[in-house]
Amino acid sequence: MSPLSPWATLSRWPLGGGLVALVAVVGLGAGSLGALLWQARELHPALLWQEPWLAAVLRFTLWQASLSTLLAIGLAVPVALALARRPRFPGRRLLLRAMELSLVLPSLIALFGLVAVHGRRGWLAPLNDWLGGLPEDYLYGLSGIVLAHVFYNLPLAARLMLQALEEAPAVQWRLAGQLGLTRGALWRALEWPRLAPLLPRLAALVFTLCFTSFAIVMTLGGGPRSSTLEVALYQAMKFDHDLALAALLALTQLAICLTLWLLALSRGGPPSLAVGAAPGQACGRWWRRDARGLSRLTDALWLTGLAALLLPPLAAVLVAGVGGLPDLPRGTSLAPAALRSLVMALGAGLGALALAVALLSGSHWLRLRRHPLGAAAMEGGGQLILVIPALVLGTGLFLLLRPRLGSGWEGYGLVVLVNAFMALPFAMQVVRGAIPGLSAPEQRLADQFGVRGRARLRWLAWPRLRRPLALALAYAMTLSLGDFSVIALFGSPSAPTLPMLLFQQLSGYRWQGAAATAMLLLALVVGVFALLDRLTRRLPRHPWPPSVSREIHDARLP
Amino acid sequence: MAPKVHAAGASLAALLAAGTAQAGETLTVYTYDSFVSEWGPGPGIEEAFEARCGDCDLEFVALPGGVDILQRLRLEGQGTAADVVLGLDMNLMAEARALDLLAPHGVDTAPLALPIDWDDDTFLPYDWGHFAFVYDTEQLETPPGSFEALLAAPEDLRVILQDPRTSVTGQGLMLWIKKLYGERAPEVWAKLDERVLTVTNGWSQAYFSLFMNGEAPMVLSYATSPAYHMGVEGSDRYQAAEFEEGHYLQVETAAMVANTEAPALARDFLAFVLTPDFQRHIPLGNVMNPAIDLGEDLPAVFDRLIAPESLTFAPEEVREHRREWIREWLNAVAR
Repeated sequence: MSPLSPWATLSRWPLGGGLVALVAVVGLGAGSLGALLWQARELHPALLWQEPWLAAVLRFTLWQASLSTLLAIGLAVPVALALARRPRFPGRRLLLRAMELSLVLPSLIALFGLVAVHGRRGWLAPLNDWLGGLPEDYLYGLSGIVLAHVFYNLPLAARLMLQALEEAPAVQWRLAGQLGLTRGALWRALEWPRLAPLLPRLAALVFTLCFTSFAIVMTLGGGPRSSTLEVALYQAMKFDHDLALAALLALTQLAICLTLWLLALSRGGPPSLAVGAAPGQACGRWWRRDARGLSRLTDALWLTGLAALLLPPLAAVLVAGVGGLPDLPRGTSLAPAALRSLVMALGAGLGALALAVALLSGSHWLRLRRHPLGAAAMEGGGQLILVIPALVLGTGLFLLLRPRLGSGWEGYGLVVLVNAFMALPFAMQVVRGAIPGLSAPEQRLADQFGVRGRARLRWLAWPRLRRPLALALAYAMTLSLGDFSVIALFGSPSAPTLPMLLFQQLSGYRWQGAAATAMLLLALVVGVFALLDRLTRRLPRHPWPPSVSREIHDARLP
Repeated sequence: MAPKVHAAGASLAALLAAGTAQAGETLTVYTYDSFVSEWGPGPGIEEAFEARCGDCDLEFVALPGGVDILQRLRLEGQGTAADVVLGLDMNLMAEARALDLLAPHGVDTAPLALPIDWDDDTFLPYDWGHFAFVYDTEQLETPPGSFEALLAAPEDLRVILQDPRTSVTGQGLMLWIKKLYGERAPEVWAKLDERVLTVTNGWSQAYFSLFMNGEAPMVLSYATSPAYHMGVEGSDRYQAAEFEEGHYLQVETAAMVANTEAPALARDFLAFVLTPDFQRHIPLGNVMNPAIDLGEDLPAVFDRLIAPESLTFAPEEVREHRREWIREWLNAVAR
């Protein structure tokens, strides 16, 4: 038997894979930005402070994004705790599905739902008239923007927090139950340590999403007073063809968001080392002292609040969608569009997953080797695409791949690729907790028994990874399912994807048909989440030798 | 200036390459999304043209909007895959012309029935419409009859606008106000701002997410929008308000790329644009007015649309002042 070197458990593969992924991501981002800069030639950074409204836009964007992040994350914590505390109540699964939906809703559809509920003539308007608490126009202006951002991001944040809480090992929950820990003690001993490493990254993600939000800020903002950097970028790029200004604005956005990410990554600290034995499903099986008494009431309040935020707008979309079913395209475009969307989403989802695993393993490897800076850079690299506006990415790629691009299959392939990169940050958030894999004692044990290579991956790492991987795949797939921005950049022959069909319907006044298409899109999203959840719900089947299984079977007989 | 020489040579070659279209050729047409959709005019036009030319293949490439077509042309330059671009409106013509990529259309414009005279030899109009405020008759019985009346309207009359930086209709309103009020435009913007519920980034958000939800009685759209509601949905609920000062006009055009590989086919297509076989798909397909007199073929609902005076700027003027006017608007309303 060969002596075990300390590196036996630290093969260099993760580093290599991570580096390849990092080069791909940074290459794509920096490449397209670089192409734009190169094309633009002269850059006048002074423009940034010479344009008075630009500074105002920047201030407003920072303000609304901070406020939205604070509220979304702050409210997501009690919601996630309540959901973790209540593993069984009627409608829990429905609520979880709805939480997964909100993120991937195309903004036009989300806006439709929000307006139908919160608008001046929305469902809530009579209630508001009667109570008289809010101004009639609360959906327009800062309050509306923040409401929409919370609608989008609170469910995402709460869902990821819940995932982290549920990954806590069963032993810990059992112990907590046996000790009869109070709410405060549980928070300190179990809940906070699981949430703490997640929060900075989650906050950075939500902030970036709010910072770069475009349609929502403009539609609900009430006018150019509440604008975003992206509008200025859009104008510079499209009408004025001022690539220098566009690149400058993109760089500004990049600088702000990347600073924030670096801050978040340096704060997050290494993930909790207490990775337990049995994966998933453990949470809530155990008796919890804090689930009784007053907390019944407060949990009910939080969960009702979540449902009240989330469900009515979705219901409004469903109502409009059912009404629009007869208006769905009678021709043959619907089913192929759905299929095309699904295939592209699967490609993008798998791509995002592979990149996420590569980057996270690489970053973990570096962290173990005490290179925290390298680890942060590798993890931060994955977020790069999120902070580069799609318009810049698309135009930059265009300039890089000139003269021709976007015709036929190349175009679709490129869209899948860019979608994979854009879904990467979300996939990373989900997979991240599971990547450290085995705890130090487990690693030693595995080494001693010589469980290495494929066997180790199959029997020790995989059972722990499969559920986060499935959730990450679901998020990545549905994000690209709902994506319109990327595909719009490259244009298409007359073979639309589902979101394109939706936009075509809208620009052709077929708004009820569009609502029906949106409903179909939502159904696909639900289907993807449900299927992947179902596939990984059961524990992996262990191929016991037949004799053993018979023994077990026999033992159960009376 | 090698590219320019090349372009000139190419267009000369195109001019000389007379004769009929080659069999089996493909014609690539850059256009916008809603044009090629199943219910848009694209499919019917494709069928009619392919039946006409025999063995050719008409291929649409859909981009989100007219601005994107221009942008794509600009990025692709001489290497563009387009043979024809369809969807550049009057306000983008000057920019597109400056690219030096387009060739004269060579089509007899006698059949044109536009509200203005047309003598451009590069851009061939295929449809037109006026920008207008569409109102919900269930919320508003008597709409304002003029811009002045809109500005002086009671407090509760709110309108939904679009941003001139991101939308064609938004830019239309900007030009409309500039044409009517000139120097006084900032003052008018500030006054109008009191009536504005919100300014969306695109027409779809304004019309679909907000107006159809009953958020405001009026929305900036096209004078032809009611034709869709009356002609396809059979509802008279939404109508356009006619302003006595006149309405800003949008004319959408088609043009031929100079160094196309299929010049004869491109020319055939442009000639086809002004025939009834093309134009009959426009009224309810693109919800715009056809560029020729369709006679009996024009859906009856088009007789019930408003017919205001037309206001326009020369395309060069728009090109020259767009940035300045957008700044003016920004400074007037974004204090």
